[in-house]
Amino acid sequence: MNRAHHLQDERLFDCYLAVRTGESLDPPVAEHLIDCDECGERYAEITRFMEVLSVEAASEADTIFTPERLRAQHQHITRRIEHLGHPARVITFPGPAASHQVVSPATRSSGRWIAAAAAAAGLFIGVGLFLERATTRVAPAPHVRRIARQSLLETPAAVEIARPDAFQIDDAFLSELELAGDRPRTRELLAFDALTPHVREITLR
Amino acid sequence: MSDSRGMLGLSSADAVAGPASSAPVRGRRPVAAPISKDTELAVEIRQLVDRGDMERARELFGGLVEAHQRRASRIAYQYLRDAAEADEAVQDAFVKVFSHISSYREAWPFEVWFTRILINGCLDRRKARARRERWLVPSGETTAADEFRASVAGPHDQSPEARLLGRERRERIAAAVDRLDGRQRTVFMLCHYGDCTPREVSAMTGLNESTVRVHLFRAARKLRGLLGGKP
Repeated sequence: MNRAHHLQDERLFDCYLAVRTGESLDPPVAEHLIDCDECGERYAEITRFMEVLSVEAASEADTIFTPERLRAQHQHITRRIEHLGHPARVITFPGPAASHQVVSPATRSSGRWIAAAAAAAGLFIGVGLFLERATTRVAPAPHVRRIARQSLLETPAAVEIARPDAFQIDDAFLSELELAGDRPRTRELLAFDALTPHVREITLR
Repeated sequence: MSDSRGMLGLSSADAVAGPASSAPVRGRRPVAAPISKDTELAVEIRQLVDRGDMERARELFGGLVEAHQRRASRIAYQYLRDAAEADEAVQDAFVKVFSHISSYREAWPFEVWFTRILINGCLDRRKARARRERWLVPSGETTAADEFRASVAGPHDQSPEARLLGRERRERIAAAVDRLDGRQRTVFMLCHYGDCTPREVSAMTGLNESTVRVHLFRAARKLRGLLGGKP
């Protein structure tokens, strides 16, 4: 190989790789590199370029992966390997939450019905109280008014007015409720009413 | 950014299974080299695991981790350009190696088998990251953290100006390497960052050794062009 035929870049790169990996160079090529300054210079340039790339990359990674970081990484790996094959641990929730029983959907739906019935009962009672108050505000019957006027004229002392018994009050209240339930606007509440235990039924038992 | 995953053995499972259990692929062949010390150690660990002596196996495996973790971190970092992700990739690779050590066969040197698993993991992560970046708005937190780390790290005897210039140079090199074709990048990284010989790269990738040399040369030529002749 004479100086007139310079080595191609590919050949020079092969030389660089051979030196890097500790392989022996092709003797004629090695000779040419010694003899030809131009090829020698090109070879040096390729080598320098590649070395700088490797060194830069290595130093960059080494500044990030310091010995401390590599030690921590080693510990992480060791820990993870120790846990290999172990089943995942199920962490139980503490105390009350753990002992909390799972409510079946059926129980939950019946609970909802009870709540709805209680709400309906509350509504009826509220309506009933309202009506009762409204009734008491109504003017008394003429014979009551007469008796009252007489008693007021005869004796200024307090007079005990005869009251109807509790059963009658309840009965009147419930009939009012039934009347209220029969009204077109509250017909939607009849389903709730059917679920509500009636005072009358309980008393008759 | 092309993906050279196919070149590295189709799938992680294939990579883990090793040459004994994988189907023969054209051009792929084991390296006919004397068994290395690490390979002997890996075989010993495999025997211990097979016998159920996990304690001793873990102890010996610690030695393998120590011997390879720096090189593995360098490779993973060059692939991922993110310290935390590279750290995780290295951990995953070692854990995978230990959990599949029973399938290891000494037909391939340990470092070849391990590097193959590591690179497959890195390629998976790159792919996942590309998918994330396509669909999600990047937060930039990790990059900022790494940039800060990179800026404060480095030889402390250097002036801030020299450190800044060094950082810019490294970024330029990384960007240029990233612009390489998938195969060229993998071959280049394995040779220059992973200190692998073309023969080892050939074993890892399944490419012919002369093809590896051609890829290396083309990668170097392209890098010189991209970096204007000097890094």
